Amino acid sequence: MNKSDIKLIVSSLLIILIILGIRFIFRNKNNKVAIVYYENKIVSKIDLSINNEYTVDGYNGKVYMEVKDNKIRVKEEVSPKHICSYQGFISETYETIVCLPNKIIIKIEANEELDTVVR
Amino acid sequence: MELRKTVNIAMFLALAVVLNIVESLVPIFISFVPGIKLGLTNIIILLVLYFYTFKDALLVSILRVFVVGILVTGLFSISFFLSLSGAIFSIIMMFIVKKMTKLSIIGVSVVGSIFHSIGQIIMASLILKNINIYNYLPVILLFSIPAGIVIGIICKSLFKSLSKILN
Repeated sequence: MNKSDIKLIVSSLLIILIILGIRFIFRNKNNKVAIVYYENKIVSKIDLSINNEYTVDGYNGKVYMEVKDNKIRVKEEVSPKHICSYQGFISETYETIVCLPNKIIIKIEANEELDTVVR
Repeated sequence: MELRKTVNIAMFLALAVVLNIVESLVPIFISFVPGIKLGLTNIIILLVLYFYTFKDALLVSILRVFVVGILVTGLFSISFFLSLSGAIFSIIMMFIVKKMTKLSIIGVSVVGSIFHSIGQIIMASLILKNINIYNYLPVILLFSIPAGIVIGIICKSLFKSLSKILN
């Protein structure tokens, strides 16, 4: 291993680390979206990075949802057992809120993310 | 002499194919970078490049992709094209670097490893029609540099011992 080898290795490692560092600093922390389905049709997409309250029309009446700290929950709805409001906040892409009496499904999806890996 | 060279290159090709298959049987698990491997085939390509000419190395490199394609992954599958583009990128860059700069075999190996990853990512983005895959490039490059160094060190010691036999 001579001098130019070490120069090559160190400089390429530095460039990569700088790129990774820049990406880490400017990374999009909360690019998750909650997608609300009513009767299997998308009725609204909610950006989870903004704390706010939203309303959609369910089968039995209005469904009130609350977004707080990148999490979403159903706050209030009209149904016999209130299962979906008891479920509380969800934040991960594999979590789902289902409110069957109101025919509402809330899924969380990543906004832009790699979803294919090829060897 | 010509026959001897042909036989040697054929043996190198067989070694490259076997190393490629053996390597694909031993996955390296690092949770956030799937699909990384050491690149043992590059040992053979580098040795051919140093013992013989660029043309021979290119031939071994491309034939290796075809033989592995026929035996394992299937000709003209996605991984065949990824492998082909990575192999061509890496052999051309290794040749240029070997000709133009004062890098030793370790540096040439690192360059080959880096451009193998770059070639694969370019082909993957063309096949999947997805720009986002370039996000993966710096992460995979971070691992291909140490892999290149390891391969280079192996090549250096092999080059010393093999040069007595081959020349």
